[in-house]
Amino acid sequence: MNPLDLVLDPVTAPGVIAAKLWIKGGSSADPQGQRGVHQLLGSLLTRGCGPYDHLALADLVEGCGAGLRCDTHEDGMLISLKCADRDAERLLSLLGWMLIDPHLDPNQVKLERELSLQALQRQREDPFHLAFDGWRNMAYGNGPYGHDPLGFSEDLKQLGREQLFSLVDRLSANSPVLALAGNLPADLEQSLGSMESFQRWSDKPTPPAMKSDSGTTSSQNALSKTNLSLQNEPTAQVVMMLGQPSLSHGHEDDLALRLLNCHLGLGMSSLLFRRLREEHGVAYDVGIHHPVREGAAPFVLHASTSEEKAQLTLQLLLECWWELSQQPLSEEDMALARAKFHGQLAHGAQTTGQRAERRAQLRVLGLPANYDQHSLEEIKNLDGISLQKAAQRHLQTPMLSLCGPEASLQNLAKDWQQQAVKPYLIA
Amino acid sequence: MASMPDAPLTCLDLWCKAGSSSENKGEEGIAHFLEHMVFKGSNHLKAGEFDREIEALGGSSNAATGFDDVHFHVLVPPTAATAALDLLLNLVLTPALRQEAYATEREVVLEEIAQFQDQPDDQVLKQLLKACCEEHPYGRPILGFEASLKESTPEQMRGFHSRRYRGPNCCLAIAGAIPKELEEILSNSQLAQLDYKATDEVELAYQPNLNFRKGRLEIQIPRLESTRLLMTWPMPPAKNQEMVMGADLATTLLAEGRRSRLVHHLREELQIVESIDMDITVLEQGSLVLLEACCHEKQLKRVEKEIHKLLRASLDSTPKNQELERARQLISNGLCFSLEAVSQVAGLAGSQALWNRPQPLFAPLEHLPAWTPARLHKEMLPLLQPEHSFTLIARPMEAS
Repeated sequence: MNPLDLVLDPVTAPGVIAAKLWIKGGSSADPQGQRGVHQLLGSLLTRGCGPYDHLALADLVEGCGAGLRCDTHEDGMLISLKCADRDAERLLSLLGWMLIDPHLDPNQVKLERELSLQALQRQREDPFHLAFDGWRNMAYGNGPYGHDPLGFSEDLKQLGREQLFSLVDRLSANSPVLALAGNLPADLEQSLGSMESFQRWSDKPTPPAMKSDSGTTSSQNALSKTNLSLQNEPTAQVVMMLGQPSLSHGHEDDLALRLLNCHLGLGMSSLLFRRLREEHGVAYDVGIHHPVREGAAPFVLHASTSEEKAQLTLQLLLECWWELSQQPLSEEDMALARAKFHGQLAHGAQTTGQRAERRAQLRVLGLPANYDQHSLEEIKNLDGISLQKAAQRHLQTPMLSLCGPEASLQNLAKDWQQQAVKPYLIA
Repeated sequence: MASMPDAPLTCLDLWCKAGSSSENKGEEGIAHFLEHMVFKGSNHLKAGEFDREIEALGGSSNAATGFDDVHFHVLVPPTAATAALDLLLNLVLTPALRQEAYATEREVVLEEIAQFQDQPDDQVLKQLLKACCEEHPYGRPILGFEASLKESTPEQMRGFHSRRYRGPNCCLAIAGAIPKELEEILSNSQLAQLDYKATDEVELAYQPNLNFRKGRLEIQIPRLESTRLLMTWPMPPAKNQEMVMGADLATTLLAEGRRSRLVHHLREELQIVESIDMDITVLEQGSLVLLEACCHEKQLKRVEKEIHKLLRASLDSTPKNQELERARQLISNGLCFSLEAVSQVAGLAGSQALWNRPQPLFAPLEHLPAWTPARLHKEMLPLLQPEHSFTLIARPMEAS
């Protein structure tokens, strides 16, 4: 039996309530040969459950002018509901039904599978996506983070109701967390408890919890044989992604990497922005991809540039990367990084949806509710040297993925093999 | 000013009537390029100093250039709002436009153009606007052209700045916790020192009407993975808020959500499109309704036929109360949900005030009750018929 794990965050919002339901087990838990099965299941949860078929459900949600969606991430499925406070009672019961009694109607399964296949194909239009796909494949291989949450065409085509039903029992078993933020009624907890869907949820016998193995990714990947991936495309620019799997959220060095992230890629005063864009004018969009993950999160720098500037751009990216472990940040840069970290928390807590999602995320990761406040204290104890040491421990095996015209990629590959594989000497 | 005292951040948003449609011949792209150059320093701020100061306060800044206007916004903790205000006004109103920075930043803008060129979606939209608004500034890309940018000079940009960034063309919006004595601070600020003489010349660049061209075009786009069908219709300009809200209702009824007519029929029932959207883009010189469908090429003919069929059928009978009520709820809540973040509030308030429509944030919703099923049927749905549209078909480029 798993009682509802509820997190409430009452805030004054103009008549709005946001609910976020996190269910452990996302694309990283896709079984072999079934890449995309969690995403497919997630997409079907809003297509009929409990007393509502797909039409009645859409009528109810859209009739209230509400938003309901399920997004499948690497670590879990996230159901998001946003509605006017007056409609909350009617709509919240849906979240319970989605978990205990999704219909998985065959025609709806066929439709969603087809939509996923088409979306997978259309993603190929974006060269950034192609470059990241190449990087992910190289960095995580067949590991849990090695594929797009949408899945893999060959696998998706084989998926049907049987595979989906075998996952349904685990939906409510892995201790899902429901976080609510906004204008919450005082008796919300009782009214949730009295809803039929949530009552049946806690009456369900608990199957053995599925073991998540995404935490083991990090060290395996360091052994990855190749550190270069090329996607030839007849584009005007070359897209570059440089990085490696790093740490899980909550790891003792994660905070140091988060500060390095602020220093490298956050805002127009960041190192990448200044170096590539302001000093050399080689790229428009530069930044870093470093999401919060349960396992080894990507830590990836990216830039796109025209062919004639590609060599210089790669060199600049590499300089930015190795600088982190070659020299400590100045006290001035540390102060700026801390201020950005602080600002980032405020920026990420502006809407009820953002607040509820962060609360749910922390709970699911097993971190305390005051984790962010605590981090603000912790970063005061980190200095330039400790960040440099963290970079020396965790950012020593970057991998490069390129997408662009073949001739350019060949030249860049030569540059990479000549200099990049040997880490610069560490003083 | 929108007071939201509990908000963790305050947004300052400076709007100016200086979008790409206020460019003269030979200036194509300069409005957007100027937006970049503003961040390269002012008479008091060195290049990069503004960003560093704002971000050291725990804030962020950004800017966006549209067809009609441009805006520069800053998000900071409430205690830093006054300091940020001075920095923002100084940066935008007295940019340095130094020669060396100009040459470097032009390279960045050219990279931006190249980056968009590699996104087939953007190419399709660009071709559509070019085809249906050919003579109008809305028909050319906001980013401009490589050639016009390469020929542009800092002097030319300075001319554009002094012509457009004048008192009557500017508007500052603030949302969040409002600093005390803000009025006094503003009256001593650079904003108060602008030239407020309204001049006819300032408005001259504007062409009141969008000369919309109906028609049809079929093109091939490299690296496209699925076929696109786009249709666009002219709508009244932003100042005609009643018609804009009517169009919003009609597009929501037709194509927002699984229970809308087009999504239900083409994606859910026939299952012949991956997606179908329809939206109104609200513009000062004439708005546009845009419909976009993504599908397999083999379904294209049928997709187009079914879209036409549903649009024509919308004239056969008045919409049901229930579907109109659904659309009203979606629009009202959509607005309500979007006003949680201070940047959205400042953006909406600022753009409305800039174009002389200061009004309460929820005022647009007051037009909704006037759009009864009968009126929608009689006055709005007839405008959204296939024969009034420009249609663009974009197919993947065939291998040569």
